[in-house]
Amino acid sequence: MNSMVVLPLVLPLFGAFLLPIIMRASVGVGLWVGPAILLYGCWILGNQWISGTAMPFSLAIGGFAPPMGINLYVDSLALLFALAVQLLGLIFWPFKLDPETARRQALMLLLVAASTGLALSGDLFNLYVFYELVAVATFGLISASSTGSAYAATIRYLILSGIGSVLTLLGIALIYSQTGTLNLAHLAQLAPEQLNNKLGLTAFLSILIGVGVKAELFPVNTWVPEVYATAASRVSAFLAGLVSKLALLIILRLLVLIFHQQEAIQVMLFLGILGVVSGELAAWRAKDMRRMLAFSSIGQLGMIFIALSIPDQAGLLAVLALSFHHLLVKSGLFMLADGWGGAIENLRGAAKRSPLAAIVFILFSLSLIGMPPLPGFWAKFTLITELAAQTSPLYLIGLAVFLLATVIEAAYLFRLAALLYRPVSEEKPIDTIPKPAGVSLVSASLFGVGLLAAALFITPVGELLNHVAGQAANAELYIDTVLAGTGGGR
Amino acid sequence: MTPTIDLELILYITALGLISIGLAGVVLSQHLFRMVLALVIAEAGANLMLVLAGYRWDAVAPILTSLGEHPQMVDPVPQAMVLTAIVIGVGIQALAVSILIRIRQRFGTLDRHEVAAHMDAEIAQIAGTSRDMSQESPLGERPLPPLPGTPAASREGRS
Repeated sequence: MNSMVVLPLVLPLFGAFLLPIIMRASVGVGLWVGPAILLYGCWILGNQWISGTAMPFSLAIGGFAPPMGINLYVDSLALLFALAVQLLGLIFWPFKLDPETARRQALMLLLVAASTGLALSGDLFNLYVFYELVAVATFGLISASSTGSAYAATIRYLILSGIGSVLTLLGIALIYSQTGTLNLAHLAQLAPEQLNNKLGLTAFLSILIGVGVKAELFPVNTWVPEVYATAASRVSAFLAGLVSKLALLIILRLLVLIFHQQEAIQVMLFLGILGVVSGELAAWRAKDMRRMLAFSSIGQLGMIFIALSIPDQAGLLAVLALSFHHLLVKSGLFMLADGWGGAIENLRGAAKRSPLAAIVFILFSLSLIGMPPLPGFWAKFTLITELAAQTSPLYLIGLAVFLLATVIEAAYLFRLAALLYRPVSEEKPIDTIPKPAGVSLVSASLFGVGLLAAALFITPVGELLNHVAGQAANAELYIDTVLAGTGGGR
Repeated sequence: MTPTIDLELILYITALGLISIGLAGVVLSQHLFRMVLALVIAEAGANLMLVLAGYRWDAVAPILTSLGEHPQMVDPVPQAMVLTAIVIGVGIQALAVSILIRIRQRFGTLDRHEVAAHMDAEIAQIAGTSRDMSQESPLGERPLPPLPGTPAASREGRS
């Protein structure tokens, strides 16, 4: 049963390569292949989630036991992210019919497969390979809108991402030359003696900057506004909502398992603070909705990096709460931007044109700012209490910046909300006001419903996340599970 | 024994040097194709670093198992990883060049700043806003009005 977990990774990968051939034979069959694979993946992972969240297990791939071979590590955190990948893949499925459909759907399947791999893999080099696969799929999906600006944004993203992979590879080489292994559990065993030094710190920092390209970390996030402004909204939503979180997941695992140096944590905290400041201020100045969301996403990711710099269970709980909250809200907002993508001024009076969209937007804004009954409040509250409990002055600066950023967020989100409800000017007919398309509005409302459900069941959701955080923060459990269970799970 | 150690040091310095040259090239180039080439150089450096991570100077290639007198073997894992990394790198470079061709077709230039300007203009046009910010037309008011009695000509004369 446990070995079924490989299927959500392998099937989309097969599907991605077979889909163009199937499409050539029969379009009718081909259109169902992708959704069917994703649904099956959801079903397998959902079953796994229900039957065995209590104990994590490790799955050796290729018949070699973990320190030598590659393994998948499946705990509740990995399962949660893998499930989110498949679900969001379904919601953002590019079903639009045109001559490019086969390619776009194949790339989407590739993205889903690689993202699932990022969530599950327990080997550093394996993670790097999946990370590059994600990158390639993303480049294809961004440039699929085939405007000149989309190509330009893609090449700029590609070059930055290339710098990131060089740095990641450098970090991996440094780690390997020191320890002779790349299995995360084995590294975790060796780290206290062999990586607790300058070399380990260098390796961590180069991996942090390298992987940080996708996680929208402060100095390497210049691609974000361009890409999110030119790519299709569904692609932006998937990138901002999920891919950035998966890059974060790599850094989280490295921090929990391997790198415990104070300097590493401080650098991350510092970059997170700078990310919050730059992102939120730029979002405040942005004049069109897509860019506003892109910059705000940089700010939010900065907040998660601040939370990540407290690597105990409570800090991880804040990381998870902020991540999943941002996933719901930002995906929903990007779906709304599908129709509202233009200049903010054009949205004057849009609430009259589509009241539901305006209500959903207000709901998302309130949660993003942290209004008490909504999940955003709990996510932010967890982080604030954690930051206030720390003694180091840098954490207190983080706290101050965090609170300030919330005010700025409120300023730009409410400015837009007020504009939505402004009366329409006389000479402008109401039909010219933009309106989100039906499908995107439905998906956005879906995220809104998810948000409300999380608000209603905040206690069980909180307990669940706490359990997940506890399991993820337990490095000994990880080591024991991987290095003791040699075969196909227990 | 000393010359081998020196050789290893030289190789490490070469690897780091290639990475530095590549990164500097990406930052300093004005042409997008040169940026891609610089990236290729940096990747070569990272790959060399990875090969060095597992290399042993007193050992044989890991396929020569029949040589009984040489039980020491070079660590094959980094070499396998470097092969993977090279393949990934080549794929991404091919993709980059194909995108460069498209950009050249759309914008007629591959100069970094011109492409960025075209891109910003197009994004702003699609969104229906004014250009967000550029060096030619900075946003906002002048913080101070120009001083009276210093016409533009005299300032140029001074500088």
